[in-house]
Amino acid sequence: MCWKSNNLFNSLTNRKATILILSVVFFFGIGATNISAQRKFSKTYPAIKNVRLRLTNRTGTISVVGWNRNKVRISAWLEKPIAKISPRNLSGTIYINVIKDNQGRRNVGNTNFTVYVPYAAAVDIETRVGNLSVRNIQGGLVRAHITSEGDIELLNIGAKNVSAKNVIGDIFYDGTINYGGTYHFTSTKGNINLRIPFRSSFRLVATAPTTRKILLGSFRRQGMKYVGNGRRVVGRVGNGGASLTVTNKFGTISFIPR
Amino acid sequence: MNCEKYQHLISPFLDGELSAKESLAVKTHLSICVDCAKIHEDFAMVFNLCEDSFSEADEPPNPQALWCRINNIIENEIKPEIEAEETKRKNKSGFLTRVFNSSWQFSPTQVVSSVLGIALISSLLTVVGIKNFIPSEDGLSETNSEPTLFESVLAKAGIIESQQEKHDKRIASQKSAIRYWEKRVRARKTEWDTALQSAFDRNLGEIDKAVNQYSKVLEDRPKDKIYNEMLHSALDEKMEFLREFSEL
Repeated sequence: MCWKSNNLFNSLTNRKATILILSVVFFFGIGATNISAQRKFSKTYPAIKNVRLRLTNRTGTISVVGWNRNKVRISAWLEKPIAKISPRNLSGTIYINVIKDNQGRRNVGNTNFTVYVPYAAAVDIETRVGNLSVRNIQGGLVRAHITSEGDIELLNIGAKNVSAKNVIGDIFYDGTINYGGTYHFTSTKGNINLRIPFRSSFRLVATAPTTRKILLGSFRRQGMKYVGNGRRVVGRVGNGGASLTVTNKFGTISFIPR
Repeated sequence: MNCEKYQHLISPFLDGELSAKESLAVKTHLSICVDCAKIHEDFAMVFNLCEDSFSEADEPPNPQALWCRINNIIENEIKPEIEAEETKRKNKSGFLTRVFNSSWQFSPTQVVSSVLGIALISSLLTVVGIKNFIPSEDGLSETNSEPTLFESVLAKAGIIESQQEKHDKRIASQKSAIRYWEKRVRARKTEWDTALQSAFDRNLGEIDKAVNQYSKVLEDRPKDKIYNEMLHSALDEKMEFLREFSEL
């Protein structure tokens, strides 16, 4: 009896141990697969304050962050099949073009970039599919274009020329509207939300022909005019120093004064 | 001294270049030597001849009189040409000179009517200019804005294209560009992975939806400015979308 119970105990312990080992192997296996499916690319360039970043991605996200250093740090996480990346630093402009670098290849995995640039840098980024994010940039230009789908988030922006464009996805802008600047936000299907200072001055042309939802918040009181049965809002806020054009074919446009 | 040496000295002797002692020696020799005396005579004759012709040829004329003569000849030749040119010039500026030099006399009615005419024309031009300069109130792009009076008149006269013609032409060129990029994309699309293919189809579907919607509305309301603008924008977007995907 004692021998039998001992045997039973042993078999139970063995089974538990086997399950434990298998589960450990399984979880570590998944982790290992994930690790092996991704590769990291990293490079740092010394840069002038108003360096220009020109980054064209095939598929994947791009996140650009402004920092207080005269350096550009590029980090990229490459999914399999791994894309080739060959950044170039030409007379104050850093070029990365994943499409050109991988021309003629059948399949290329996503490439997700995080780039740190000086605050005063000019940022020009685009991707065919994927989200774009730009934060803390006070340079002359911020251009973020998605050929197809993905969200665009522009936070703490002080640039004079800003352009954001996508087909499906939301656009969120939180920044200033500078005198003499031009600001373009275009989407086909998504929501465009603009959080700008209450005391901004600009000439506005906002068009939402399908939804006719153009929410002006407190800017509504500043001489705005609805035209074309509410499909478009035009007007001048303050002395109209900047030009602000917003078009959303199937979505809404909202202003959030701060 | 032998004869040969005296014969060499004859020429300088005739030129008076010899010293008194040498001249005396030459003279003495010439008086005793017939051959050398003959050479001296020949030389002397040649010298005399040369002196005579030189004096005749090089006798300087009165230079002042000569210049006067040349000047007269030149003036006689040039003067008729200058006169002809002056006559031509006078004929050319004749009308303007006559206009400015003649005295004008208008009646008060003529003056008032011409002032009013000038004021009317200049104010019309100012209005047309301002209308063209100020952006339209409904924020329409330049290509979609109302034609000016001047443009309408020119379009009716067939000198420039009308708005409708411009619109049709633009749509046709956009559509032909789209066809070109569609072909390029079709050739590449089979090489994409399924995720990229479905993203492409989904997004192209949305753009096409916009194009169809605006085209349909414009069939009923062809002059709707906002929809016209949106249709152009959607077609441009489609063109750009296809071009960018054709690179993959």
